[in-house]
This record gives sequence, C-alpha cells and structure tokens, in this order.
Amino acid sequence: MGLKIVKREGKSFKDRIYLPAILSGMMITLGHFLRNLRDTSNIKTMNYPEEQPQDITARYRGVHRLTKREDESVRCVACFMCATACPAECIFIEAEERNDGVDEKMPKVFTIDLLECVFCGACVEACPCDAIRMDTGIFTFVAQKREDFLLTKDKLLSFEAKKEDA
Amino acid sequence: MNSISVTVVIINIILAVLFSLGAAPILVWIERRVAGFIQDRMGPNRCHIKGIRLGGIIQSFADMLKLVFKEDFEANGIKQSFFFSLAPVIVFCSAFLTFMVMPFADDLKIGEQVFRMQGLPIDLGVLWFLAFAGLSVYGIMLGGWASNNKYSLLGSMRAGAQVISYEAAMGLSLVSVLITYGSIHLVDIVNFQGQLLFGFIPAWGIVVQPLAALIFIITAFAEANRTPFDIAEGESELVGGFHTEYSAMRFGLFFVGEYVAMSASSALIVTLFLGGYHLPWLNTHFLQQNISWVFVFLMIAIPCVSYIFSQWMFKNNRWLEVDNIRNRESKLLFKIIVGINVLIIVGLGLFLAFGIGENGTNIATAMIQVVTFAVKLMLMNFIFVWVRWTLPRFRYDQLQDLGWKILMPLAIANIVLTATIVVVFGA
Repeated sequence: MGLKIVKREGKSFKDRIYLPAILSGMMITLGHFLRNLRDTSNIKTMNYPEEQPQDITARYRGVHRLTKREDESVRCVACFMCATACPAECIFIEAEERNDGVDEKMPKVFTIDLLECVFCGACVEACPCDAIRMDTGIFTFVAQKREDFLLTKDKLLSFEAKKEDA
Repeated sequence: MNSISVTVVIINIILAVLFSLGAAPILVWIERRVAGFIQDRMGPNRCHIKGIRLGGIIQSFADMLKLVFKEDFEANGIKQSFFFSLAPVIVFCSAFLTFMVMPFADDLKIGEQVFRMQGLPIDLGVLWFLAFAGLSVYGIMLGGWASNNKYSLLGSMRAGAQVISYEAAMGLSLVSVLITYGSIHLVDIVNFQGQLLFGFIPAWGIVVQPLAALIFIITAFAEANRTPFDIAEGESELVGGFHTEYSAMRFGLFFVGEYVAMSASSALIVTLFLGGYHLPWLNTHFLQQNISWVFVFLMIAIPCVSYIFSQWMFKNNRWLEVDNIRNRESKLLFKIIVGINVLIIVGLGLFLAFGIGENGTNIATAMIQVVTFAVKLMLMNFIFVWVRWTLPRFRYDQLQDLGWKILMPLAIANIVLTATIVVVFGA
C-alpha cells in the first residue's frame, strides 16, 4: 500500500510573510470600492421601500385571503382542515349553521394570527374547497399594535388576488 | 502675549480639536460608506436635514444624538461604579491628548514671532505619543474589570496583553526612525523629510526606513485596536469585549475615543513616514519662494477639480423618486461649489495683483500645508478602514507570535542596520 504524500500549502517564504496575499486581497476590495464609487448604479442592492422587488414569482406565499363563491358569499365551509393542518396553530375558527341554502355550514369567526403564522402554506394545501389562498401579493404586512395582526374574517374576505401584470 | 499670538494659539487649538474630535463623525461616515462600497452595498444614505444628505454624513450626527439621549444604563452587578464611569474618560482623554503634538504646518513666522503649529506647543513629539497611546489601554482594562462581566474581563485582558506585546515592537521600530532623523521633535522630523534623496526622491520616512515604516504601521493598527488586531472587542467571540456593559454616552466615549486614537495613529504615521505636511518635492522654502506660481496653479486646479466633482455628483447623488426633497441637494451643492470657486479665484487674483507681503506668504504657506496634512491624514485613515474591511481577525496565539517572534526581531535588526549605516556613513 503506497503512501500518498499530500503537499502542504502555505509553507513557502512568500506565504509565510503574509504581505503578498494581504496586498492582493486589498487590491480586490479596492477594485470593488473604486468601481462602486465611480458609478453607484453598479451597486446591485435595492433602495427597498421606494424600489420594490420585481423578481417575486406568482406562487410566492403572501398574506392569506378567503375566496368567495359566484354570489360573493364566503366559500369556506368551516371544516377545520386548515386549522388542523396548521403547524403554528394560528387559525381560529368558530362554525355556524348556514341557512341561505347555498351550503350547510360556514365560519362565524375565522381569524389568522399573522404573528404566529409561519407562511408554510399547509392551510392552502389542506383546504378541500379552495377557500383559502395565499396569492394576495402582500409580503410586508405592517401594523402598529399586536391586535392589528389578527386578521378577522371580514378582513380576509376583503383581500383580492394579486393582479398578474403581463 | 499680543493679539497675534493669542489668535494663532486659538487657531491651533481649534485645528487640533477639528482634526481629532471633529474628525470622529467623518471617520464613522467614511468607515460605514467605504465598508458599504467594498461589500457592494450602499451604506448610510437616507438621513437628511431638509434634503441635505452630504453623501450620508448626516447619519453620523444622528447617531451621536442618539447616543447622547439614550438611557445611561448601569447593570446591578457593577460594584465599582466610579471606575466604570472613569474608564471611558481615560480612553477618550488619552486618545485626544495624543493628537496635541502633531504639527499641522511648519513653524509659522509672523513678523519677529515664531509659532509652533501644534495643539500644545511642546517638543516632546514621539515620546508624548507613546506615553498617551500606552495610557489608553488602562482605560480599556479598567472598563473591562469594572464591568464585572466575564466577556468584558477577557476582552480587556486580551487588550492588555496585545498592547504590551506590540508596544515593544513599536518602540523599537521608532528607535531606528529616531536614529535616522536625529530628533524626537516632530517638526524637525518633517523638515528632514522635506529634503530630496539623491536629488529627485523625496526623503520620506517610508523611503528612508521602509522596514520601520511597515512595522510601525502594523503595530499602530494593533495600538488602535483595529482589525486585524481587534481581539479586544472580538464581537464574534466576546459579545462586545471590554464595552459589553456600556451604553449611551459612556459607550459613545469609547467609540469616539477609538476613532480619535485611529486618527492620532494616522497623524503620527503621516508625520513620521509620509512627509507630514510637505507636498512631495515642494518643501516650505520652495513654497514661500514660488507662492505666486502656487496661486496660479490653485486658480487653475480648483475649478478643474470642482468640475470633475460636480459631474460625479450629478451622476451619482440622486434619489429614486424624482420629486423627493433629497433630489434638490445636488443643485444647491453645485451653487455652493461655484460660489466657493468664485471667492477663491477672486481672492487669489487680488493677492496676485497686489502682493501679500512676507507675513501673508508665510500664512498662505501654512494654510496650504494644513490642507496637505488633512488630506494625507484622511488618506491614511482610509487605509485603516480599507484594511479593516479586507482582513479577518488574527487568532490570539498568531497575534502573539507575530508580535514577539517576527516584528520584534525585525525591529531590533533594523536598529542594528540603521545604527551601522549612520555610524559608517556619518549621515
């Protein structure tokens, strides 16, 4: 069995005095500095709130919304599948009987706590009626108080799907 | 004491305070902006007063205001409250005092009087710097110990060990420099560097004593506790090192002190090795002889530089939203630049037309030298920042190895070499 001699790097005189390597590294950083100083448009970072990201795909998960039937009533039948599937346990549903003949059951309360939500999309996967979706395109939900992050049924119904820009 | 001497002393003190304390916000700005550009991002560029951003410099003042008005918190575990408060004061004062012996210009001669252009008119020079640079580590050690916190104590112990090791190499590298120059007085040192070597190379320290310059610059980085020698802070290992427990203005003093110390180190490097206040090939005597030509050159050069700067400003100093208040800044700054240019050209033209006499020549030379010194100082500070955002931190044992096994023998060998050359050639 032959021995394989591995050549150790970093033992030559040039390596041991550090300075050539340090100088070449500093030249690289200086190159970046001068390039960006000469023309700041070389910098690829965004000026975020003014400049919105354009490369978010249509399937990227945003804030939830409750979808509606053709007659503008709530599609959800309060089956609790989403609340069961939710790993963060952030969906709170209270069911009530539905008397308008469209269906038998609907949610009286449907609240999502966005501070608990991990945006995993398991609720959307679990829903048998396509009643909850995460296609609003709202990725930055801002509020002043903790209570404002509790999205009620009315609020969830008011969101619309994000318009697809051609 | 007449009115002229009082004026000169006051101007000197103002200059010293401006270069050290006043430079701190600018240095913080340079640090953050250069770091941003090196890492391909913007750095602070939003903060503005009625649209005036000055490239983000306003952010430094906002940060300082924030530090002043924050709660001055002191943890319950701190038993030595007095020493806890004293530590940042020591760091800040010693950093501030180091700056006081740096000469901004050659000795100014007005009539029969000769003034030293330093914050404190004393000729201790290098010794003063070494004394106070060594003192600042007491503040760090005291702060770390009084914090009553493991991380702080570790950080301050590291700082102590580091400064002791590197001060030895620094002192020894300075010895060979002082042998070459034959004086500890910084004005003599700078005037030595105003000569020409072999008739065409400026006899700057970095040419005459390259090895000492290298060792001194490396040890100056260690003295100022800057990367790659910032193991005292070591935020990835020790939370915040010696200033973990500090907040508000007590932290602010540490913070400003660090930058003042960096600026003082830069000033000494500039003074010892980069020709101080001298422009290359143009020493004080030459400037005073040819002051008219210098004025003519300035009258051409300043508008050219302003033009290039304005072009750059209109290209880069913009805000995304067209009607934002920040977009008005470039036009305002352009007007100010044009105004300054007109003032300078008219002023210099008047001086050229009527002559300014001997005192005026001396004062004009001193002003040119102060500006030269400031530019060199900022370039050296830029190198400090540039190194910080390029190199990673040394490991503790590597740091001690470098200090004791490499830098110190090199410094001693350099002393022997220098002394031999000086004795043999009688320089």
